[in-house]
Amino acid sequence: MLTALLRKETIEIVRDPVTLAVAVVLPVIMLFLFGYGVSMDVEDVPIAVYDQDRTQESVRLVEAFVQSGYFKRHRNVQSPREVGAVLDKADATVVIVIPPTFARRLAAGSDAPVQVLIDGAFSPTALIVSNYVTAIVNRFSTRLAEERLALSGLTARGLVRLESRVWYNAPMKTVNYIVPGLFAVLLMAFPPMLTALAIVRERERGTIEQIYVSPVSPSMFILGKIIPYAVIAFCEMLLVLIVGTTWFEIPLRGSLGLLLGASLLYVFVTVGLGVAVSAVARTQVAAVLLSLVGTLMPSFLFSGFLFPIATMPYLLQLYTYVFPTRYFNDISRDLFLKGIGIEYLWGNIALLALYAAALFIAASLTLRKKVAR
Amino acid sequence: MRRLAAAVRKEFRQFLRDWLLVGLVIFIYTADLVICTSALSFDVRNLKLALYDGDRTELSARLVERFSTTEYFDALIPVARIADVDRLLDGNQADLALVIPAGFAQEVAAGRSTAVQVLLAGTNANTANAARGYAATIVGGFARDMLANHAARHGIANALPSVRAEMRIWYNPQLEFAHFMAVSMIVVAALMVGVITAAAGLVREKESGTIEQLVVTPLRSHELILAKAAPPFTVGMLSLAPSVVIAKAFGVPLAGDLALFIVASAIALAAFLAIGFFIGTLADNLQQALLLAFFVLFPLMFLSGTIAPIESAPALIQWLSTLSPVRYYMQIALGILLKGVGLDVLWPQFAALAVTGFALGTWSVVRLRRQLYA
Repeated sequence: MLTALLRKETIEIVRDPVTLAVAVVLPVIMLFLFGYGVSMDVEDVPIAVYDQDRTQESVRLVEAFVQSGYFKRHRNVQSPREVGAVLDKADATVVIVIPPTFARRLAAGSDAPVQVLIDGAFSPTALIVSNYVTAIVNRFSTRLAEERLALSGLTARGLVRLESRVWYNAPMKTVNYIVPGLFAVLLMAFPPMLTALAIVRERERGTIEQIYVSPVSPSMFILGKIIPYAVIAFCEMLLVLIVGTTWFEIPLRGSLGLLLGASLLYVFVTVGLGVAVSAVARTQVAAVLLSLVGTLMPSFLFSGFLFPIATMPYLLQLYTYVFPTRYFNDISRDLFLKGIGIEYLWGNIALLALYAAALFIAASLTLRKKVAR
Repeated sequence: MRRLAAAVRKEFRQFLRDWLLVGLVIFIYTADLVICTSALSFDVRNLKLALYDGDRTELSARLVERFSTTEYFDALIPVARIADVDRLLDGNQADLALVIPAGFAQEVAAGRSTAVQVLLAGTNANTANAARGYAATIVGGFARDMLANHAARHGIANALPSVRAEMRIWYNPQLEFAHFMAVSMIVVAALMVGVITAAAGLVREKESGTIEQLVVTPLRSHELILAKAAPPFTVGMLSLAPSVVIAKAFGVPLAGDLALFIVASAIALAAFLAIGFFIGTLADNLQQALLLAFFVLFPLMFLSGTIAPIESAPALIQWLSTLSPVRYYMQIALGILLKGVGLDVLWPQFAALAVTGFALGTWSVVRLRRQLYA
């Protein structure tokens, strides 16, 4: 009986090749857009310099900024008025103002302030930039002091140095962390909606009544809907995984088997969500809107994909557990970036499995109630 | 003119009857703005620091104290073995780890170069980058003091030169992401409302077949579009008032000329409605229209600097974003509400917004006329 249902569903899907193509190709396009488009990498930050001192020392300070690799010298500024204009027009993110007494104060062995103005409109970048500025100025200052000591015959080079090592994502590229998260989000874009539409369509056309009077049991009917769409969703997942990892060169450090297993589980959850949407929505339009508002948007915003969950207010942190994207997002990132194993991941995997089971049971129960009526 | 007035009246009646849609528009401009602004942030706070002190001297304790007295680190987790650092980082229980090697104090006292290590979990590049900066600042300050001590011990009492960065953050001195987010959400609200209402309004007419009746009336195609645009435009512009008040409540300075912002919003909303009508001409039914709408919405949102600065994107994406009116509206909104700059600075953005909006509007009117009246 199940095979008959599957055959019917397959025929319906194949008859609409446009939808099928959309379901498979659009995620790949979105993968590229987001992989390239959402970047918070801080490099080549444009700086403007207002050097009122024009001495060897002031030139060295500016050099220190450029040589750090984070900043590029964009332009020189000649007057205080221009300083404000440069930031207002967003021509430069940082303006360094070196006062005329800079070299003289250094020679006297005193404190020489420089002013650094930073555009704070996008605060994450501004924060990182201000840290870079402090680090560069600190190092410059220490270097000068060391040189002065060397003149007095005391050598002390780099007394306490900081060696920082970044694990999991050594180049600190946003893309390495966006793409594994995208695998979780993209799968929320299509499978729930397509599955919901497939069921609601039957209801809208009235063909679902024929199912009710046939000997097909509710769980059979649900399985007959879930399996074909799960197959499509899994192919979609594989395609996104292959393109994402090869094109963006994201190394998979963990086990491939574990990733595929978790993906399969997640695919069933996404399709199951579609079934859940179909239980609520009466029309196809409502189904599309509900899957947009109920699955896709929260997946973007409340899964930790872009915005870290740890900084959300406590209640909204709890709210993030409602959406399964959160679990798979964690699994995917841990497997790709950290390469850790099941001993760390079992919690999220168990929650996903629980989610899938709950969705399936709820779906067959609601359908049974309808049949009984 | 009377023709247009009648059509506008009809559209208003139809639009306001759909209270769910009107409610949704108001929701997006108000409640959504509040939820997203208070919840979503890229702030780097409450970092968890694992600590391995292999030296256990008075000096190493002083370095640790520098870390514990700053506000950046929420929890300091002392570990006994270096292997525990791995475990904490792997299990997401620590964001970074400070490792002080054995013999640290001895080396410093002898004036030899020593390194302390900071290990960072780079899973979230933004957090790791900020955390590394905090660590560098703290260790840098410590190094500087050690150097001064060292000099003093060797009898060099005269002052050492030092450079101090006096930092000023403009526009957003507390570095509150909420300021950016609130402005961004107002821009996104206009985009969503404009595109979805316009596309749905046009397609509903197509789907129910009543568009043919409109075609045979003396109503001209641009009048039809104007009438269709009037209700969502009005509701959207009215919703702007509460959303600006909410932004103010989140601390956005509203530094610039609000009248100028309203003008920009009107142009932008018109441009977004034009995008919606364009989608409406492509779709035959509501489902198609909604699907198309969100494939247009998401890239537009993400590639126009509403989530991450467009300057960090690769050149091709930056070039593509110059075609997007959302990008210009976002720049104008940030400029007026956050920076307090005026038309003298923002005129290129205004010009670009007007040009992209006008081009889109004309294109969709032309398309619609060809589709309906051919």
